[in-house]
Amino acid sequence: MNMSFLRISIWVYLAIFFAYLLGPLVIMSITAFNSSGFPRMSPWECLTFQWFGELFQDQRILNGIKNSLIIGAGTVVLSVAMGLAGALMLTQIWPKLRATYYTIIIAPILIPGVVLGISTLVFWDRINRMLGLGADSFLSNGIFLTVIGQSTFIASYCMLVLVARLQRYDLALTEAALDLGATHAQAFRKILLPFMRPAIASAAVLAFLASFENYNTTTFTFGEYPTLTIELAQKVRYGITPAISALAFIIVALTVFFALLNEAKLKRQELVAAARKEATVEELAGKIKLPSFFSGNMAAVLLVMFAVATITVVGTAMAYNPAQCIADVKEEKRLEAEQRIQELRKQREEQRKQREAEQGDAQQSTPKPSNNSGFGNVFAPNTLGGQDDESSAEPDNQPSGNSGFGNVFDPNSLKTDE
Amino acid sequence: MPGFLRDFFNRNGFGMGLAILGLVLFWTIGLIILPQLSMLDFSFRPNLPPPEIGGPKDVYTLENYKYLIYGPEGGSQSYNAVDLRVFFRTLIAAVCVTIFNLIICYPIAYYLGQSKGNHIRIFAIMLIIPYWINEILRAFALRIIFGETGVLNTLFVGLGIWDTPFDFIRNDIALYAGLGYAYILLMIFPMYNVIESLDGNQIEAARDLGAPWWRIHWRVVIPYAKPGISSGCTMVFMLSAGALAAPQILGGPSSLWFTQLIYQQFNDNNDWPQGAAYAIVLLVTCILFVLAMMRLFKVNMGDIGK
Repeated sequence: MNMSFLRISIWVYLAIFFAYLLGPLVIMSITAFNSSGFPRMSPWECLTFQWFGELFQDQRILNGIKNSLIIGAGTVVLSVAMGLAGALMLTQIWPKLRATYYTIIIAPILIPGVVLGISTLVFWDRINRMLGLGADSFLSNGIFLTVIGQSTFIASYCMLVLVARLQRYDLALTEAALDLGATHAQAFRKILLPFMRPAIASAAVLAFLASFENYNTTTFTFGEYPTLTIELAQKVRYGITPAISALAFIIVALTVFFALLNEAKLKRQELVAAARKEATVEELAGKIKLPSFFSGNMAAVLLVMFAVATITVVGTAMAYNPAQCIADVKEEKRLEAEQRIQELRKQREEQRKQREAEQGDAQQSTPKPSNNSGFGNVFAPNTLGGQDDESSAEPDNQPSGNSGFGNVFDPNSLKTDE
Repeated sequence: MPGFLRDFFNRNGFGMGLAILGLVLFWTIGLIILPQLSMLDFSFRPNLPPPEIGGPKDVYTLENYKYLIYGPEGGSQSYNAVDLRVFFRTLIAAVCVTIFNLIICYPIAYYLGQSKGNHIRIFAIMLIIPYWINEILRAFALRIIFGETGVLNTLFVGLGIWDTPFDFIRNDIALYAGLGYAYILLMIFPMYNVIESLDGNQIEAARDLGAPWWRIHWRVVIPYAKPGISSGCTMVFMLSAGALAAPQILGGPSSLWFTQLIYQQFNDNNDWPQGAAYAIVLLVTCILFVLAMMRLFKVNMGDIGK
């Protein structure tokens, strides 16, 4: 097979794959800026920032964010603590028990979230009853149940992250500290914890994100404290608005920002390390010239561009007023609707004439009173019904005529497209 | 005190040892084992109002499991056709989603694992970013695309390929795309981890010996990547069978996912034991299915999660 053909097809495949992965997020972000009342890209109406304003006035969303933050903090503390304990236990557990123990603590990752939520709810409900506490006790509190339910499986993620670093830990360090007279708690706090700190930080971030976005477990346990995800699910299930796109845009932007920030930091550390390695002894003794934040650091450049773009957008949002454009679109829609009314009227008129001609042929002697009125067809079924068979001869026309006019004068008809 | 425990406390000190042991026991027993057992117990009990719980009527019964198979007592049908159909549909669809994900992710994992360079890190970030976005919002994004006035329909109708908008949601295409989308990362990373550690010389050797590219994959890469493939497939299968958000948002009005039935039992019918029984059936079936598949493809349990 031709190598260049293979290479091209790989790139095409990568492009399609990442389009599938990132395309939906991009499209969703764009819909946040369209003034159309339904989140969509086309037809593009006006650039607007009104959905962001609407988002920040939504009390349920704000309340959800608050609950999510509280639950996230609780979950981070509990699951990092349990994950660390679980990882420490894994490194020193009796070898025969090791496989069983590992299976037990890894299982929550594979158990469906729905099952975890139900089992948490059922179990703590039973404990609550056994202790004879009421329905409003601490044990049936939504925040408590959600933290417990989420920590069950998030602790497994934390454990996996922490155990990877713990395997590189030299136990001799702790032993040395103990020999030098430290207590176990001191050795843990001064030796092991600083070593584990990067892993603990990543585990905490992971735990917070997992808690923040969890739906399956939380939906059974949240009680009276709906999290942001729960609120979003309610909203999305019963009608979607671009305000959700606005929220999604904010989350996407924050994610990209922190990913770039992290990447830029890592890259800089690498560059500094490389510079140190290449530096001569004199340079090290004197002032070492470290690479600046931007040199050779693609991520940092992107980061700054991203920040500038954000500031520009926010600045525009402050100054920009889409009222004129929205008014234009409304006007356009009104004209369009009016045109449609005209067309309908014309159609009606023609139909009426046609029928008149037919009726005229049938019975010329009796003129129809309804014919004088412009809206004659609306009332036609009543007037015609008693007099002749014509109306039953064309039953298809009459109902459609009625509904046609009915819609036109319905005040909602102008808004249906919005 | 048994020897193991004494060693443990000697090594960690009494206070630290107690803290570690306490947390681990709380996690494994209090959060993992007891709730599952409690749910199992609960699923064998009748649905009683709170005052009657623990009373004479609170006896073990198979009623909840019978309901799934035979439907309500005195019902017109001999089997609970609706719920059973949803159950099998969920399992089959989850298998299809898993296979679909495996097929589209394998080339990516292979490419990322075997090529070197700076752009790999950019790709990794691009892979992770969608995973950090809320599950609900990911489903919402797909709904914008697949909706009746969504991007795809506007595009195809605008181009004149279709005359009328195609209802992706009613035909469940949106649902399968959404489930596949949600768990791509869980398929790629285990495979990537394994393929990355494959020595490129093995591939070179196979190529030098004249193997065509498909045989290199079939005889060298796939056997080596089997642990990664199996853990990826296990995770995607379990998570898509247990998914709730994507079916709720992207599923058609007439098609249900089994987790939605469980959700209805809990929230709409207020029949917790019934819901617990359904959850147990789902969990046990999924585990048995995964174990059977692992035996079929000769994968060891210990390879999972590596």
